[in-house]
Amino acid sequence: MRKFIVIAIPVATLILFIFVMQSDVIYKMYFDNNNITDSINLIIQDIKDEKWIDADAEIKQLSESWKKVVRIIQFSAELDEIKLFDKNMSRLKGAVMAKDKINALIELNEALEHWENIDE
Amino acid sequence: MSETLVVMVRSIIAFFTLLIFAKILGKQQISQLTFFDYVLGITIGSIASELTIDLTSRAWPHWIGLLCWASLGFLMEYITMKWRYAAKYINGEPTIVIMNGKIMESALRKMKFPISDIMELLRNKNVFDLSEVDFAIIESNGQLSVLKKPEYEPVTAKDLKITKKPSGISTELIYDGILIEENLKQIKKDKKWLDKQLKSHGVKDISEVFIATLNPAGSFYVDLYKDHIKNLTDIGDYKGPY
Repeated sequence: MRKFIVIAIPVATLILFIFVMQSDVIYKMYFDNNNITDSINLIIQDIKDEKWIDADAEIKQLSESWKKVVRIIQFSAELDEIKLFDKNMSRLKGAVMAKDKINALIELNEALEHWENIDE
Repeated sequence: MSETLVVMVRSIIAFFTLLIFAKILGKQQISQLTFFDYVLGITIGSIASELTIDLTSRAWPHWIGLLCWASLGFLMEYITMKWRYAAKYINGEPTIVIMNGKIMESALRKMKFPISDIMELLRNKNVFDLSEVDFAIIESNGQLSVLKKPEYEPVTAKDLKITKKPSGISTELIYDGILIEENLKQIKKDKKWLDKQLKSHGVKDISEVFIATLNPAGSFYVDLYKDHIKNLTDIGDYKGPY
């Protein structure tokens, strides 16, 4: 029993640490179901079609989803990637307000890039 | 995102990972470490600190770095334990610096060891006169082992043909005013016996005792919280805050 505890506790601890440090990979693989990617792609389509009201609603939803995702992936992801995604979201909101198609698409594509690279 | 929380979680990960890896790496004491072990320890510690506070990169690569360094350290330990030939190269080997009372200058030059360092290490071993030394060896951990000439070795009981009782290891019977009944049972004594011993040392109650021990030769030692020393010896050579 003692030997089991001596081995099992460190092994279980290391496995838990691995899960925490790989939370971004695990989240993207099993829990996200392409939520963020799909949302971004949907907004890109809305902006291409100049559906500004729909795009604004989608952005709000994406922001809410992003806040939840950050809580899970913050222990494993790079701080810079998270902050840059936040910045993209803020700029995107501004571009949609101004109905600036070019800048909105730039920010959305950059945000997509940050999301895809977050677990690398 | 809370940076404070992230740093706290990463600290916990780094702390316990280091603890687990250190346990796996063995029980070598600092004094037994070779120079390479020392550098290895510093590197592993440095990686752990980066894992904790470097939030600009993911925790995972740092942790993998930690794992790789610890695994390589373990591998080196295993190789040196199983293969003496490799151990000689990895850990180094003891070098004789004084042989039959003569200093081995070439060995010192090879090890880049100035004679002043040898003199310092000798003084650490309470040797102040080179003529007393028969053999001196620099061990692979940098410590000096000294064998004095027979005429300078202290006389032992065997030399005097005296038989001495083995003193053995003392057993703690009371610590911090609390009786350790397990130990009392182990030495096959009871509380009555202990009370008698304490009384003979002028102790009225167990709570007055800081520590009490008994060695296999039967010598009972007791130290009280109140030491009743009137003339305290002060070894300080300069007036300080304490």
